Amino acid sequence: MLRAARGQQRTQAAKRSWSVLVFSVGGKRLAARTEDVGGVAPWVESIPVPSRTPFVQAMLKRGNQVMPVYDLAAQLNCRLQGDLLLCLVARHIDGPLAICIDADMPSLETVDATAIRPNANGDADMLGAVTIGGNEVAIVALQRLGRAKPDAVRG
Amino acid sequence: MGLRNHQKSVSLLVETASFLVVRLGRTYLALPAEGVRGVLTQEEAGSEQAVTSAGTIYQAVDLVRSLSLTADLSGFEMRTVLYTSGRSHGAIQVEQVVGLTDIERKDCLPLPLQFRGDERKWFGGMMVYQDVLVLIVNPAWVLGELAEVVSVSDREPQRIVTSSAMSIGGTC
Repeated sequence: MLRAARGQQRTQAAKRSWSVLVFSVGGKRLAARTEDVGGVAPWVESIPVPSRTPFVQAMLKRGNQVMPVYDLAAQLNCRLQGDLLLCLVARHIDGPLAICIDADMPSLETVDATAIRPNANGDADMLGAVTIGGNEVAIVALQRLGRAKPDAVRG
Repeated sequence: MGLRNHQKSVSLLVETASFLVVRLGRTYLALPAEGVRGVLTQEEAGSEQAVTSAGTIYQAVDLVRSLSLTADLSGFEMRTVLYTSGRSHGAIQVEQVVGLTDIERKDCLPLPLQFRGDERKWFGGMMVYQDVLVLIVNPAWVLGELAEVVSVSDREPQRIVTSSAMSIGGTC
């Protein structure tokens, strides 16, 4: 019974905290829930695809796997930093999605769920913001990235 | 024995699809091969907008402009692909004809769902050919027949699949 109570406490503590991957795009610190991340690998050259979907205009081929690329840097209006860029694979609701991120190695952090502030600007691509190491870090909604844009639902 | 052979050929027809793979700049495109009526050099195609071949007029199709691509159509590998759906005919200029290939239908992949715009009309799917990603072009869109296909499918949702599959050569 005592063991069960401890287990419950641990579960509640886990619910109160979020495990996030902190990465950067164009020098901007961002975070994503670890369960939304499929992996991080070196970036390989993407293949342009004629497209009218905002920020989805390329694909990445890695071995036999082909996945669309989401240009988060373009959305954030910034330029990627570093020579050896990285590929963050998002577990998007529509399938794996590649995002090019800065060369800075991402880090894992645990944040208290109560410390997460809701979006002030109502950006549906962000889950909220949290302060990590004294910096405000936006949490990207990797699972639904790009789905909220009304102009992207045409066709 | 004759019957067995017949069944085998039918099975092959169901499971594979033929494509002409072409290149425009950095983009590789596949045209269902059943619509290809000829591949002409610049000299053979002439300088007119439309190309006449075997009594059929093939209107010029500017894929570079339609797909907002960057391509060099002045090179010696440039070709004009004569393409038909049976009722519409187009002369498509490409930077290079890469090759003709038969691929198994299971290797025809749908365009990822993250592509949500007009490109879903432009491309019927994608495939990997010689380690290169190739987009399978929807001939109905290339030949300007898509408005008709869409209007039919708007009224009868079940026919969307039928019309689209037929219009892309029953490929993916």
